[in-house]
Amino acid sequence: MVCCGELTLSFLSSAGASMSVLSRPSRMMLLMNPQSGKGQALTLYNNHIQRMLNEAGVTHTLVITERQNHARELVKEADLSQWDALVIMSGDGLLFEVINGLLERPDWEEAIRTPLGILPSGSGNALAASIHHYSGASPVFSEELLVSCGFLLCQRLVARMDLVSIHVASSPRLFSFLSLAWGFVADVDIESEKYRQVGAARFTIGTLVRLASLHIYKGKLAYLPASSLAPASRPSKDSPLQRTESMPSRSATKGPSDSLLLPLDQPLPSDWVVVQEEDFVLMLAMYQSHLAEDLLAAPGATSDDGFIHLIYVRAGISRTALLKLFLAMEKGAHLTTNCQHLVHTKVRALRLEPHSPKGIITVDGEVVEYGPVQAEVHRGLVGFMPSWLLCSMLETVCVCVCVCVCVCV
Amino acid sequence: MGTTASQLGKDLLSEYQELTFLTKQEILLAHKRFTELLTKDEKDLPNTRVPAERILTLPELKSNPFRKRICHVFSTSEQKDGSLTFEDFLDLLSAFSDSATLEIKSHYAFRIFDFDDDGTLDCGDLEKLVNCLTGETDETRLTTEEMRQLINNILEESDIDKDGTVNLSEFQHVISRSPDFVSSFKIVL
Repeated sequence: MVCCGELTLSFLSSAGASMSVLSRPSRMMLLMNPQSGKGQALTLYNNHIQRMLNEAGVTHTLVITERQNHARELVKEADLSQWDALVIMSGDGLLFEVINGLLERPDWEEAIRTPLGILPSGSGNALAASIHHYSGASPVFSEELLVSCGFLLCQRLVARMDLVSIHVASSPRLFSFLSLAWGFVADVDIESEKYRQVGAARFTIGTLVRLASLHIYKGKLAYLPASSLAPASRPSKDSPLQRTESMPSRSATKGPSDSLLLPLDQPLPSDWVVVQEEDFVLMLAMYQSHLAEDLLAAPGATSDDGFIHLIYVRAGISRTALLKLFLAMEKGAHLTTNCQHLVHTKVRALRLEPHSPKGIITVDGEVVEYGPVQAEVHRGLVGFMPSWLLCSMLETVCVCVCVCVCVCV
Repeated sequence: MGTTASQLGKDLLSEYQELTFLTKQEILLAHKRFTELLTKDEKDLPNTRVPAERILTLPELKSNPFRKRICHVFSTSEQKDGSLTFEDFLDLLSAFSDSATLEIKSHYAFRIFDFDDDGTLDCGDLEKLVNCLTGETDETRLTTEEMRQLINNILEESDIDKDGTVNLSEFQHVISRSPDFVSSFKIVL
C-alpha cells in the first residue's frame, strides 16, 4: 500500500501539482446521488466502497441526496468541524453543488479548505479522467476490466485545484471546476448530459446531424492573457476603478473577490485582448484537462496551473475539419493539427458577449442562463487528494474508481 | 387524384392541409415553386413527375448534403429514380416542416441515412453518411483511421443490442436525446 501511495505521489509531483501532507486519519462524509452511474452508485458502495473504507480505517457517513441542490444545501449548513473530507460518490454534478455550497457559507474561507474527494461510482466523469491523466497513467474507462490492486488510499497527500468564478447574465455568481462552453460544444454537451453517466463517446448520429447544419455563433470575446502582470487579488482601495465594489454579486460577502473583472457595462481594461472576429463555431474555456471522460480538450492543463485554457474555433471551418478536430481531441491531439480556425491561449479571465438572441452556455456541462458571461480563475482555491482506488468486482465487469480524498491543510 | 399546374382547387388545398403538417400558405408556396420547375408542356399534364436533377436545383435542397437521398426516399416512382410528383414534394416538405413531429422526422432521417435501403444502418451506411458531410474530394474526406474511430464511436453510442448496426428504434432513441435535431432537420421554402 505504501509503495502505491509513493507511486501516486511521484506521478503527481511530476505533473506539477503542489503537495502537502496531513497526518490525521480521516472522517469522511460520503455524499451520493443514487441515480448516478445508472443507479450503480449504491450497489458499488455496498459491495466494495464500504468495506474498503472500513478496512482503511476511515470513519465515514453515507448521505444519499434526494433531489437537485440537496447536497448544496446540506454542505451550506453542515458542521464542517466534524469532517476531514467530503467525498462525492457521483459525477461532476454533485461536486459542483458541494463546491458552490461551501463557497456560499459565511465562513467560506475556512470551509473551502475542506478536502474534497470524488468517487465516480461506476461511471466516468471528466474530473476523474483529468486526475487520472495527471497521474500519467494510460486512459481507462469505467467499463474496462482493470487490474485488481487492492485499495490505495494515500491519506497524506493533498493537491490543489483551480476554481473559476463565473458571472453570467443576471444570475448569482457560480464557481466552476471544469469548463465553460458556448457554441457547438455546449449544444453537444446538453445532449450528452443524459448519458454522461455512461462515459459515452460524444459522437452520435445526432452530432453528425448538427454538423450538417453547422451554426455560426456571433459574439464578442475578450480575455486577459496569462502573461498579464495584473496581480490576482488587488485590494479594492488601490484600484482606481474600485473593482470589487462595483462587481455586483449576490454573494458579495462570500467567496473570494473577482478583482480582475469589471462590470459588463464598463469597457475592458487596456491589458485585455479583444478577439477581432465575431463569428464563432465554438468557445471552450477549460481549467482541467478533460472535457469529458474521452475528450482531452486541454492536454497541457494541470489541476492548479492558475490558467483558463481558452480554446475557440472561428467560423469558416469546414465540417470535415471540425470533425477531425473532435476526433483528434480524444487523444488531445487537436492543438497540433495546424487547424487555421482553432485558437488556443492561456488566460486568467475572459468576457463573452453573445450577440445571437438564443443559444446555450454550459458551466461544467450544465446549462446556465444565456447572456453575457465573465470568468476569472482562482488558483488552487480548493484542495483534493488524488489517489487510485482499484477494485475487482465479483462479476466480470471491473470498475475503475478514483478516490480523491482531500486533506485539510 | 392529381393536380395540374393551373390552379390548386380549394378542396384539394384543404385536403392537402389535413394530410400534411403544412399550412395552406406553405402548400400554395410549394405549388408555385414546383410549377416553376415544369416545362411548358408539362404544365398541362396531371401528376407530372419531375426528375431529381431538376428538383435538386431548388436552392433549399442544393446545399443539403443529403439531397440525393432525400429525393430518393420521397419518390414514389417505380423506377426508383428520385423523381417527385407534386404530392411527393408535399410529403417531403411536410416531413421537414416546423410542425412535423420528432417521430416523423427521425423516421425519415433513418430512411435517408439507410443508403442501401436494407432497414438498418450498418458500417457502410454510416461511412456514406459521414462522407456526405465531409464532401467528395480527397482533401475533405476523413482518413481510414479517423473513419474507423468515428464509426466505432457512433456504434458504441447508438448500437444498444450490439449487433453492429443501428436499427430504427436505436436510432430514434439516440435522436430523441438530441434537443436540436428537430431544428437541424428542416427545409422551409
